[in-house]
Amino acid sequence: MNWRKWVKIIHRDLGYICAGLTIIYAVSGVAVNHVNDWNPNYIITKDTLIVSEITDRVLSQQQVSSLLIEKLALTDSLRSSFRPNENEIELFFKNKTIKAKLTSGVVIYEQVNSRRVFRESNFLHLNNPKKLWTYVADLFAVSLILLALTGLFMIKGKNGITGRGKWLTALGIIIPIIFLFMYY
Amino acid sequence: MSKYILTFSVILISTIMLFAADGTKYGKNIQTKEKTKISEILTAPEKYEGKTVLVEGTVVNVCEKRGCWIELSSDKEFETIRVKVEDGEIVFPMEAKGKKALVEGQIYSFTVENEANCSGDEKTACSDKEKSEKENKEDGACCSKEETVKKVYQIKGSGAVI
Repeated sequence: MNWRKWVKIIHRDLGYICAGLTIIYAVSGVAVNHVNDWNPNYIITKDTLIVSEITDRVLSQQQVSSLLIEKLALTDSLRSSFRPNENEIELFFKNKTIKAKLTSGVVIYEQVNSRRVFRESNFLHLNNPKKLWTYVADLFAVSLILLALTGLFMIKGKNGITGRGKWLTALGIIIPIIFLFMYY
Repeated sequence: MSKYILTFSVILISTIMLFAADGTKYGKNIQTKEKTKISEILTAPEKYEGKTVLVEGTVVNVCEKRGCWIELSSDKEFETIRVKVEDGEIVFPMEAKGKKALVEGQIYSFTVENEANCSGDEKTACSDKEKSEKENKEDGACCSKEETVKKVYQIKGSGAVI
């Protein structure tokens, strides 16, 4: 069996194994590449409502919370509350935060939903799990190197590395070098 | 072949689920035994600078995009302290909001230029000449950034349980 046949077998089977992870990493790569323009993990929606003012200064934090829940007709179970200052209160529910200004009655309703697929992809891509996943990611990186190297030598002839392949490979190396000169 | 792949997948998924059950711990294991009140740290932060503390509070804010910090409410009203972690080392989820958190970390400080007096009206930062003139004025036409430099204390978080 010649070496090129082995190159093809390695490239084919590694390609099958890596297909899923490559898509996950690519999706996440695009998502986190634009982190300044959008939130890659969550969809955060904010609505503003006006309720009647709560001006009674004697009320405790718990009483203010109850009063606000009543005014907003909320049925969710309250997780906790916090007062950043005398005039404001924040109520925390599961995936929901209510921020209220007591004297003006302005209420900001913030709902947080997970950005499905993206969040899970980012979790793996950015190695948030650490532990065993670190080694899986390392193996994936080595596999990508093998895929790249075997890809170079799969085909012989005019479309192979000695023909048009060498120009395309050179292009792939030159592009990052140009950007390094431009921005580094 | 398909049997091997199936067996491997089952083992992998079981392992992942085993680790996933450990989801409320972030970063390193907490070593400090004694808790310090956030209000005590905020009263005399310079006393705690460089020291490792264990604090407890409700998570009232989370870094939305990177999960790289949380704000904990103090045991006293209207007070919070920020816990900053190395990007990627610990990632706090938005779901942590409103939950109790136990955090271990080191108190550190940095200075920020508080530009509050330089915005919201037509005042601009003072030139050197104006600064010297301003010393004799109660309310100058400009404001001095140097006058509002503020030292901020935060916790450099190393481990947390939420």
